[in-house]
Amino acid sequence: MFELFARNRVASLFAITILTFGIIGAAAPGFLSGNTIAVVMANSLVLMLISFGTMLVIITRNIDVSSGSVLGLSAAVLGLALNAGISLPLAIGLCVLVGAAAGALNGALVAGLGVPSIVATLGTLGLYRGLMLTLTGGRWIEALPQSIKSLASNLGWGGSVLTIIVLLVFAGLWFFLRRTRSGGYFFAVGDNREAARHLGIPARWIEFSAFVGAGACAALAGVVFAAQIGFIPNQAGNGIELKAIAANVLGGVSLLGGVGSAVGVFISVIFLTAIDSALVFLRIPAFWNDFIAGAILLSVLMLDGRIRLALDKRIRAKRYAIGHGGQNAKPASKEKAAESLHVSSEATR
Amino acid sequence: MKRLVLRWEAVLVLILILEFVVFGLINPRFLNPSNLLYGTSDFIHIGIVAVPLTLVIIGGGIDVSFASLVGLCAIVFGVANFFGVPLPLSILAALAAGVCAGAMNAAIIHFSKIQPLVVTLGSLYLFGGAATVLSGAVGAGGYEGIGNFPGIFTEFGYLEVFGIPAMLILFVIMALIFIVLLHFTRFGRSVYLVGQSENAARYSGLPVERIQTVTYLLTGLCAAIAGLMLSSYFGSARVDLGTATLLPAITAAVLGGASIYGGQGSVLGTVIAVFVIGFLQQGLQMAGVPSQVSSALSGGLLVGVVALRLGSAMLAGFVARGNKAMAARSRPIVEEKIK
Repeated sequence: MFELFARNRVASLFAITILTFGIIGAAAPGFLSGNTIAVVMANSLVLMLISFGTMLVIITRNIDVSSGSVLGLSAAVLGLALNAGISLPLAIGLCVLVGAAAGALNGALVAGLGVPSIVATLGTLGLYRGLMLTLTGGRWIEALPQSIKSLASNLGWGGSVLTIIVLLVFAGLWFFLRRTRSGGYFFAVGDNREAARHLGIPARWIEFSAFVGAGACAALAGVVFAAQIGFIPNQAGNGIELKAIAANVLGGVSLLGGVGSAVGVFISVIFLTAIDSALVFLRIPAFWNDFIAGAILLSVLMLDGRIRLALDKRIRAKRYAIGHGGQNAKPASKEKAAESLHVSSEATR
Repeated sequence: MKRLVLRWEAVLVLILILEFVVFGLINPRFLNPSNLLYGTSDFIHIGIVAVPLTLVIIGGGIDVSFASLVGLCAIVFGVANFFGVPLPLSILAALAAGVCAGAMNAAIIHFSKIQPLVVTLGSLYLFGGAATVLSGAVGAGGYEGIGNFPGIFTEFGYLEVFGIPAMLILFVIMALIFIVLLHFTRFGRSVYLVGQSENAARYSGLPVERIQTVTYLLTGLCAAIAGLMLSSYFGSARVDLGTATLLPAITAAVLGGASIYGGQGSVLGTVIAVFVIGFLQQGLQMAGVPSQVSSALSGGLLVGVVALRLGSAMLAGFVARGNKAMAARSRPIVEEKIK
C-alpha cells in the first residue's frame, strides 16, 4: 500500500484530493454538491490550459515562465480582432496563431541559440507583456461581443463549450504523450538529451515544438479568460506562470525532465482550485489564500521529497542485494539521468 | 576564464555609457548629475536583493522567494512599530525575520532535496500570504500600507551624505562587502566550487550544505534591508513592496554574467547590470516612451544580450581551439545543472 502511493504520485494526489473534499464537506455541509464541482471546474480552466502547456516544456527539461504574458498578448489580439469586427472563429484562430508564434520565439531562443530556458522566457515574459500593452495602448479591452462571452455559458450540465474544449485538450494531450511515438520522444529528450539525440531523435525540434505547444495552450487559455471575464485587463494572466509551475510540481512533473503525466496535472489543478473555492465556502478571509496555498504546496513537496528519498534508498538496497535487474523499480530522482532512457517511461506510468 | 569575465563587465560598462549618450542626446536633462543621483533611489533596492541573489545563483541554487520576503519583512517592521516597539528593535525584528525565512528556505531545500526553484516558489506564496495575514491582523487588511513611522526612519529614504543619497551609499558599501566576500575569501571560492559541481565539491571535503545555506541567509537578510529601505522611501510598509523586484533582480544577476547553471558570475557585473537596467527604465521614461514599451524593451534587452553573449562565446570557442575543447567545457555544466 505504502509502495503504491509512494511510487504513484497520481494515485496519492487523487487520494489527497478526495480526502480534502471529504474533510471540507464534513466541516461545511453543502460544499459537496454538483454546483461546487461545476464552479471548481470552471474556475480551473485557465490554469489548467497554462499548466498543460508548461508541462510539455518541463517534460523536455526546460521551463517556461512567459506563459502569463503569452496569455495576455493573445487575449489582447483576440479582443482587438473581435472589436474590429472579425468573426469569432477567425479571431480565435488568429489568437492561437499569435500564441504559437510567441512560443516559437521562445523555442528558437532555447533550442536554436541555446539560451538557458529560464533566462530566455524571463526575457520574453517582459517582452510579450510590453507588446500586449503597446497593442492595447495601455487601455483595458472592454465591451467584448456577446459571441465570445456565450462560450462560457452553462450548457445545462454544469459545463460550457470551454469545458469541452479543455477536456478535449486534456484527452488529446494524454493520448499524444502516452500512446504515440512522438509523445515518447518528449520524455526521452527530457530524460537524457544526449542519449535521445544519439538514438536519432530530433532533440532540438522536440524542444522547439514543446515551446510552440505551450504558446498555443497559453493562447487557448487567453480565449477562456476573455470568455469568462468578458473584458481583458492589462494584467491578464500576470503571475499565473508561477502557479502553473507549482501545479506541475504538485502533479508529479519533475523539473529535472522526463517525468510527468497529464492526469497528474489535471488532478493537481483541480486540487489547487478546490482549496481556493473551499476557503470562500468556509468564509475564511481572502487574505489567508496565499498563505494556505503556499503551506500546502511546501508540505506536500517536503513529504514527497522525503518519501522519494526513502524509496530510492530501499530500491537501491534491493538492487544491490539481488544484483542488477530491478527495472520496474525505477526511482524518479536525480540518479535517473545515469540510467538508460526507456526505463524512466515506466516510472511515469 | 578570468579575462573573459573581465571583458564581460567591460561590455556592460560600454552599454551603460551608450545609454548615457543616447538618452543624453534625446533629453539633455537626463544627464543632470543630481537627476542621475536621485534617480538611483527608484531602483537601488533591486540591487540590494540582486547582489546576494548572485551568490545563490553562483552556488548552484536559485531563490525567487525574496520578492515576497521584501514585503513580509517590511510588514514585520510595520507591525512591530504599530505595537510601539522601539525603532532599533523593530528594525532588528525585520532583519531577523529575513534571516529566519532564508534559513527556512535552505532547510527545506536540504531536507527534501527538491530543486530550489520549486521550494522557493512555494515559499514565495507562503511569505506573501504570511505578510497579508500579518497586515490583516493589525487592521491594515489587503494591500493598504502600515504607516506612521517615526520621523527619523522615514527621513532616511531621502537622507543625503555629502550630496549623495544615503541609500546609494548603503548599496555601494554592501556591494563592496560582497565583492570582498565572494572574490577575496575562502568562502567565496567555495561558493564557485559548489556551483561548478556539487558532487566534486562534496568529495573534496567542502561543507556544501553549509555554504549554500549561508547564501540563502544572506539573501534573506538583504531582502529585509530592501524591505526596510522601501518602507522608509515610501513612508509605509506594504505587502506588495517587493513583487516588482522579482524579474529585474534575476535579470540583473543574469545580465551581470551569472550563469543560471551555477559556478559563474560576479558581484561587480551584477552591480553594473543593476544600473544598466535602472537607467534604461528611467531614460526611456524621460525620453517620453510609455512605460509599457520600456518593459518590452528591457525584456528584449535581457534576451538580446544573453543571446549575444552565448553567440560570441560560441564563436570564440570555435575560433580558439576547435569544438573539442568547447564541448568538453560547456557540455557537462549544461547537462548537470539544469534546474
